[in-house]
Amino acid sequence: MSMQQRNTVVSLVSFLLVLGYFCLKVFQMVQTTTFTALNVFQLWGVVIAAAIAITIVGTIGATILSAIVYAVRTREEPPDHEYVEDERDKMIALKGTRVAYIVSSLGVVIAMLAFVLDQPPLVMFTLLIGSGLVAQIVGDVYRLFRYRRGV
Amino acid sequence: MGKGKGQIHNHIRTLRFHRGEMTQTDLAGQVGVTRQTIIAIEQGKYSPSLEVAFRIALALGVSLEEVFWYESEDEGEKS
Repeated sequence: MSMQQRNTVVSLVSFLLVLGYFCLKVFQMVQTTTFTALNVFQLWGVVIAAAIAITIVGTIGATILSAIVYAVRTREEPPDHEYVEDERDKMIALKGTRVAYIVSSLGVVIAMLAFVLDQPPLVMFTLLIGSGLVAQIVGDVYRLFRYRRGV
Repeated sequence: MGKGKGQIHNHIRTLRFHRGEMTQTDLAGQVGVTRQTIIAIEQGKYSPSLEVAFRIALALGVSLEEVFWYESEDEGEKS
């Protein structure tokens, strides 16, 4: 598994965890009638901060772990070119980003539809951040699919 | 010449063998890509850029045409 592939797995796991947390909190808010602007915007902040923090810590941890596993297996340091992002990685990343943009755009359209259907603005904001998380996950899954099946 | 789908094939595995069983890691290091990219190219899952194709040929000590060839699926043309 290349460095970029590993980072994609880390990103996927991180965003799945964050999406799970986000859905749980929104469900709790709706159940307990605490679905207010203050709580929703606080959740926005927590979700964005958590996504960044978990991804960074996960990426560093995975890199250290894989270097240790490689060293134990081969009794050598990993070669430098294994830490390179080459043209194939860049192409797959771009294709994944394109898919993520499409999903994100669909999320924006659905959020706008919520407005049309007389839903409060908070529903639109919740749909926006939710679709952003789903878009990242779909993009990562597509990247992993491309790594397996070829470009 | 048809405009149908075609595929780029290669002799990298054979040429590595003729270069004293050069490993995929060694070739990746000389070309400047990851080992996974060399594997993907060998398996026909990724068609490299012209620059990487030339670098592979250079690392294997042969001309570009000896490493890669193009085959059109529509007409079975080889070039």
